[in-house]
Amino acid sequence: MIDLKAQTCPNREQRAGAINAYYGKASDLVKEAREGTLTNKERDFQQSSGCVLNFYLTTRVVTIRDAVMIVHAPVGCSSTSLLYREVYRRIPLSEGRPADFDLHWLTTNLDEKDVVYGGADKLRFAIKEAEERYSPKAIFILASCTSGIIGEDIDGVVAEVQNEVNATIVPVHCEGIRSRIIQTAYDAFWHGILKHLVKKDIPKQPDLVNIASMLSYTWQDRLEITRLLNRIGLRPNFIPEFATVEQFEILGAAAVTAPICPTYTDYLSRGLEQEFGVPYFMYPSPVGIDHTDEWLRTIARYTGKEKEVEVLIREEREKWVPKMEVIQNEFAKIKPNGEKVEILGSLGQGRLLTQVPYFEEIGVKSPAAIIQDFDNLVLDEVQGIIDQVGDFDVLVNTFQAAELAHITRKYDPDVALTCPFQGSAYKREKGATRIHALRGDARQWSAQAGYKGAIAYGNFLLQSVKNKAFQKTMLAKTPDTYQDWWYKQPDPLHYLKKEA
Amino acid sequence: MGTVTPLRTKEEPLYPGVAEAPRYSCALGGAYMATLATFGAVPILHSGAGCGMAQNFGQNFAAGLNDAGPQGNTSTPCSCLVEEHAVFGGEDKLRALIKSTIELVRGDLFAVISGCVPALIGDDVAAVVKEFRKDVPIIHVNTAGFLGNSYKGYEQFLEAVIDQLLEPLPAVRRQVNLLGIVPFQHVFWKGDLQAIKTLLEKIGLKVNMIFTENNGLEALRSIPAAELNLVFSPWSGVGVARKLEEKFGTPYAVIPSVPVGPKDTTAFLRFLARRLRLRRSSVEKVIAAEEHRAYRFSEYMAAISTMALPNAYTAIVADAGTAIGLTRYGSNELGWLPEIVIITDNPPEEFHAEIVRRLTEGLESAVKPEVYFEIDSHKIRLLLREHTVQLILASSLEKHIAVDELNAMQVSVAFPVYDRLIVDRTYAGYRGGLALMEDVAYKYGGPL
Repeated sequence: MIDLKAQTCPNREQRAGAINAYYGKASDLVKEAREGTLTNKERDFQQSSGCVLNFYLTTRVVTIRDAVMIVHAPVGCSSTSLLYREVYRRIPLSEGRPADFDLHWLTTNLDEKDVVYGGADKLRFAIKEAEERYSPKAIFILASCTSGIIGEDIDGVVAEVQNEVNATIVPVHCEGIRSRIIQTAYDAFWHGILKHLVKKDIPKQPDLVNIASMLSYTWQDRLEITRLLNRIGLRPNFIPEFATVEQFEILGAAAVTAPICPTYTDYLSRGLEQEFGVPYFMYPSPVGIDHTDEWLRTIARYTGKEKEVEVLIREEREKWVPKMEVIQNEFAKIKPNGEKVEILGSLGQGRLLTQVPYFEEIGVKSPAAIIQDFDNLVLDEVQGIIDQVGDFDVLVNTFQAAELAHITRKYDPDVALTCPFQGSAYKREKGATRIHALRGDARQWSAQAGYKGAIAYGNFLLQSVKNKAFQKTMLAKTPDTYQDWWYKQPDPLHYLKKEA
Repeated sequence: MGTVTPLRTKEEPLYPGVAEAPRYSCALGGAYMATLATFGAVPILHSGAGCGMAQNFGQNFAAGLNDAGPQGNTSTPCSCLVEEHAVFGGEDKLRALIKSTIELVRGDLFAVISGCVPALIGDDVAAVVKEFRKDVPIIHVNTAGFLGNSYKGYEQFLEAVIDQLLEPLPAVRRQVNLLGIVPFQHVFWKGDLQAIKTLLEKIGLKVNMIFTENNGLEALRSIPAAELNLVFSPWSGVGVARKLEEKFGTPYAVIPSVPVGPKDTTAFLRFLARRLRLRRSSVEKVIAAEEHRAYRFSEYMAAISTMALPNAYTAIVADAGTAIGLTRYGSNELGWLPEIVIITDNPPEEFHAEIVRRLTEGLESAVKPEVYFEIDSHKIRLLLREHTVQLILASSLEKHIAVDELNAMQVSVAFPVYDRLIVDRTYAGYRGGLALMEDVAYKYGGPL
């Protein structure tokens, strides 16, 4: 039950029993979560991993095109958004990027005086300045640790200033310290959207499909999803990245909310159903050929496109399955004795649900899964994966680089999928490549979604087993970040406190 | 939206701190980056969980697509404070973290950097750090995001080093420390430090770059042994140099910028020769050889310079030190016309007059730049629109604006830089000017 009268959402810990420290069998994890015995534990050694504000709500909200983001914080909390004038600009206009493109944000730059006397006047000034400078349709106000601890009444300021500006003001309660679970940030953002921006009582658009895109899905993924939906007479409504404010306003008019990352979208999906009657589904996401089929079929059920979708799937499979078979054959030939290539990867819960089955599809296997955090929102889906591929080890940790370095050595997979947030884990004797590209990457090579992406990503992974020079050289020529004993003991969660 | 209201910059904004995209992070960010730039130093953040990771896109990646190094970003130990610590205090969490970090992470020096949360809740961080002093070299940088920007944090790191780590040493003749080049904020920091060191070694100096020295702890500890501290910025690092003078009696010299190109580099070497009483003839020998090579090589770029940007009106949007170096090189060696300079590193008022003087005096160009001090990227955009220029040396925030709105070439040379990798690149010294021209001509080059 989502309560839009409340100032903000509950934390993921409260709403869904979320944790970010666990190492064990996936089946036990699901069991403990079902029984309600799963508890989070503190670490005595911890590494910087992103907070509610800065993983990476700022860099998402700033991409909303006709809005202004105001970060009510000291100057460092928004420095991640310095990339705002470039984030999508490398995408060529010929690939469909709108030319009308200008993003804006302000910091209230809270200083020593403000933490004593309060920063409400500055916030009021920033809102008016935003209106005067940019005439935006919406102004998002992002809270911070500092605004939270000094007890800033952001909603009070909003109530007072709202009738003086044309823009709709959307406060987002994303104080960095409010939760251990970075996914709380998504919920806090969607709460603001549902409460302030989504319009009631507007005509339904039966061909509109809401899709919340993560920053790990690229421009080509959008193009592929658009292509597929268009072929059956549907239109995607991609939010929040690169969207206009109007695209949020019409969320309640859509026929269905479809997942790319289910736990990212969860709060929005539930809220849209509860408040606006838009149905949603959580599984699967359009990664891999089989899952793309199922994703499209599910959307078709909500939009009355059952016939059209079967034609589409048949035609697409004819084109792409032979290419997939080439990839499968290549992977099958890599190791002697018909052993499967092992790939260690995944990031969010969403990627656990997409990647493990995708690896099955291309004929490789995962020795274990790593996920940022875990909650009870997708238990059936995780159980489904276990049923499909068998039980597997899971490490739940939010970008703990030492633990990632440890588990990568321990399982020693043929390919480790890493990202800039996984520290030194890429330095190794065997394969290492990136887990995904980012939203501004417009290259065909970087696609992962839909049929095209399934093939592109398969070929991409094949490249990673063909040369290991970079990671091997770095392993040999640079000292390890951690002491040797770390790798000699067996537990990646060595520093987990035993009590809750 | 697509357009920006063409407002004239307001004369006196009510809250000058409220700004679009100021070009730095916070004091914690600056102290953190300075620690990471000290090889062998391990930062320990006592802060919310995002304070280290956020500096990835916000500091090191913004400094020419750089990693932060083996202890940076998600590899940085952090107490990851949440609400319950804000209520009950974070000291126990920090104590456990320091202990485990010393066990697990390889390093010679540990730097506990405290952020907004402990500052607001009143944790006694110094007392916790003190417990570990008998075991390892450890310092506490008592900062907070709301105390200032990255430049402030850089100074706070060095001040903590001075107060908590350094002991007096006898001054070693001809030994100098390089100060004022702020890691990552000054996007060419690594290349600049090395270029200056290599150059000064040629005239017989012993040079301590501090940052990127192989043994960071030893480099820090030998700071008091310098005969002279050199500050390569008109303002940033001056406070540190003053503190070193007070505490160890080391005199300092403020060099207003990293010297770019032969003329300023020669002037810099002659200044040092006088100041450090070096043998004039051997310094002149170095100067003659370096100048010969630099100018003989300049012959290779004469044609492209004349074709691409003869007497170009230029705009420079950068930190004060970078702006001074590039303005002088462009004006005094390449024949450019410096039309407008916008200083983005927010120097304190007391330094403004000197910065303006450095940017407007001693220029061969008949055009002297209008100089603005502005942190607000929106206002910077509006200021640029009031000028007609052919070349913009700026941050990558100006990249698309230059092409779409100003019809000018742009090269990213100042923070933030998200459109090029800068690892060892430098515009410092005799060959620096040529490197700048290489980058500028890359934007122009193609079949003629």
